[in-house]
Amino acid sequence: MPTISLTQSLVISLIQCVLVVVFIFVVVPLTVFAERKVLGYLQQRLGSTRIAGHLGGLTGLLNRGMWKLGKVPVLSYWRGLPGLVGDVMKMLLKEDILPTKADKFVFWIAPALSFVASVVVFATICFVPGTFFTFPTWVPFLGGLPVSGGIADVNVGLLWILGMATVGVYGIVLAGWASNSKYPLLGGLRSAAQMVSYEVPLTLSLLAPVLISGSLKFSEMSQAMAVGVPLWAIIPQVIGFLIYLTCGFAETNRVPFDMPEAENELVAGFHTEYSGMKFGFFYLAEYVNMTVVSAMAAGFFLGGSWLLPFGLQGVVNPYLASLPSWLVTLLCEPHAAFFAIKIVFLLFVFIWVRGTIPRYRYDQIMAVAWKYLIPLTLVNLVLAAAVRLAM
Amino acid sequence: MKKFLKTLIPFDIAKGLSITGTYFAKVFLTANRAKVKQHVVSEYPEVPAPLEPRFRGRVQLILDEAGDPKCVCCNACAKACPTGVITIEGGKKEGRKTRIPTRWDYEMERCVFCGFCVEACSFDAIKLNSQFELAAYDREDFSLGLTGAHNVLEPSPVGKFSYSDEA
Amino acid sequence: MEQLEQLFSTVLTRHVFLIFGVLSVIGAGAMIFSRNAVHSVIGFLLAMLSIAGAYLCLRAEFLAMAQILVYAGGIVVLFLFVVMLVEMTKYKERKIFQTQTPVALVVVLISAVTFLGVFLKTIFGKSAEVALTLNPELTGDGLNAATHNVQAVSRGLFADYLLPFEILSVILLVALVGAVVLAKSERG
Repeated sequence: MPTISLTQSLVISLIQCVLVVVFIFVVVPLTVFAERKVLGYLQQRLGSTRIAGHLGGLTGLLNRGMWKLGKVPVLSYWRGLPGLVGDVMKMLLKEDILPTKADKFVFWIAPALSFVASVVVFATICFVPGTFFTFPTWVPFLGGLPVSGGIADVNVGLLWILGMATVGVYGIVLAGWASNSKYPLLGGLRSAAQMVSYEVPLTLSLLAPVLISGSLKFSEMSQAMAVGVPLWAIIPQVIGFLIYLTCGFAETNRVPFDMPEAENELVAGFHTEYSGMKFGFFYLAEYVNMTVVSAMAAGFFLGGSWLLPFGLQGVVNPYLASLPSWLVTLLCEPHAAFFAIKIVFLLFVFIWVRGTIPRYRYDQIMAVAWKYLIPLTLVNLVLAAAVRLAM
Repeated sequence: MKKFLKTLIPFDIAKGLSITGTYFAKVFLTANRAKVKQHVVSEYPEVPAPLEPRFRGRVQLILDEAGDPKCVCCNACAKACPTGVITIEGGKKEGRKTRIPTRWDYEMERCVFCGFCVEACSFDAIKLNSQFELAAYDREDFSLGLTGAHNVLEPSPVGKFSYSDEA
Repeated sequence: MEQLEQLFSTVLTRHVFLIFGVLSVIGAGAMIFSRNAVHSVIGFLLAMLSIAGAYLCLRAEFLAMAQILVYAGGIVVLFLFVVMLVEMTKYKERKIFQTQTPVALVVVLISAVTFLGVFLKTIFGKSAEVALTLNPELTGDGLNAATHNVQAVSRGLFADYLLPFEILSVILLVALVGAVVLAKSERG
């Protein structure tokens, strides 16, 4: 392996950052689109299949084309995709309204804080164990250098993720306050209380993987949980996964825990007064947060970059030797694909739950966190400690 | 304790998820075909919406074998109309015993589509047809008479809702 | 290329720390001098995050993350909560809350002098060498403080200084119980 100079490693990090940002801006709009379609399918509808508006005949042309696509097997799911472009255009071009008595500075900084805190988390998430790809030798300056699977797979990665999740609360609270309006303020306060409460079981449920793997590094934890645990470690993993997912719903303010924007009581909660791209940042942050929670759940509980979830891969691995080698390669090598598939599946679960479960009442949300989830996580922690002892 | 356990084990949630999941699978596997029964929403402009037999659409006069309206200008419909949108003037025609309308005005913008005119008519001369895509860009298109593009003798030419941007 | 390398290395080792230091001073200044209480809290948040960044530059990753989690994530949120609900707009209210200026000045002066004394002694005094390196017993057992930051801190907390740590926990618990008791008795 060639030695890497500081400049080269900085350039490589920059490339990784660009890759991650591209990943985010591919996944997030597709999730927004998938949300419409999947919610429709869950309710026996077809989701969005056409677009509206007057674009000088273009609308009619597109709609006729999409109607024809409806009879083509796979492409029929993509009807309504032009509506996504319309969404983005609307966010970028809509009038940006500043309420008269709003605190201008805080009103500006809140969406930025929310968005940055959610994107920055991706720094420590490790998509592929070890090397992602190596630059071919003909590339100038970077030829032959490896690019690792995460931007900064530091040994306090988990703490960084949790810390940034707490910083994300500020975006919502400050937005609620700065709007100088009753509903946003109530929404902001509710969300702060909710997110601070759910951080406790969330962190406790993640402590079980920390305990079992003995590390705070994303890649090490993911690897240990996927291939390094005995069979019966599946019990704390499954319980931990369910708790973590519940808390993840609450942390990302999704249905059934979408208290900050409970429409029937709070109009639109903390972003009632926001419009245009400022609202767009909140919107993006929500979906980026969903991706982060999915990535963490996939990494810590669903086997990360390996095929089987809940640490079953490590149990199965010894028996793989008897299989033909091409099959082993297929089952073990495409790490990035496995990780991506798990993230996509969990995003689907987010939407699935949204289409199924109605919103909880506020006191019920708090009761679930403090009375049920926290005791359960403590029990789970004891189980994880037993696993650790037996390993 | 029982309540605690009941809340703890998400049996109801799993049940709900399985129901919606089944729907998802059904629609997902059939979404590429135009006419599938389990879709609650039909693809309306392209697939015509099914109408009930007693659907009450726009007022239309029924014609006899000679192609003339069966209306005898008795004004029963005009009197029965709660919003007074029907105005009839009668006249004579060669070889016809009853009177024939020379003017039959129908102001659709005030019509409530109640069907009282059909009930009042003793000659089976009026019906409410099955048209419901009656939106128009011009107010004049709602004043229907015996002549013109929009008339009471035949269905409105508005027809199927169209995608085109022409007014 | 060589010069670029040099530049990056100086920037990373010295200037980033400097930037975080300046940012934290700016944040602290904003916290003190801004008229609006919520702006003060945002300044406080900036200061806390920059201090965490400074810790990162000193290779104390765990401390940095704990700083973010505890201060930025927990304490400042509570501050914000209280400040948002207590709106000090009227002059009278402001007077009630700002009677302690002379007392505060005295306290700040005393603590500043004490702090400066300690500061001078640790950096320029006899114990400087010891104070600026990590405790040698923590680096034993193959634990490298640079790469096993968390392990080193946890060994310090749960093995070497277990008793003080537990006593601290008990004190915090007492404070917690005390708060509950106070809140309960007030309600009636």
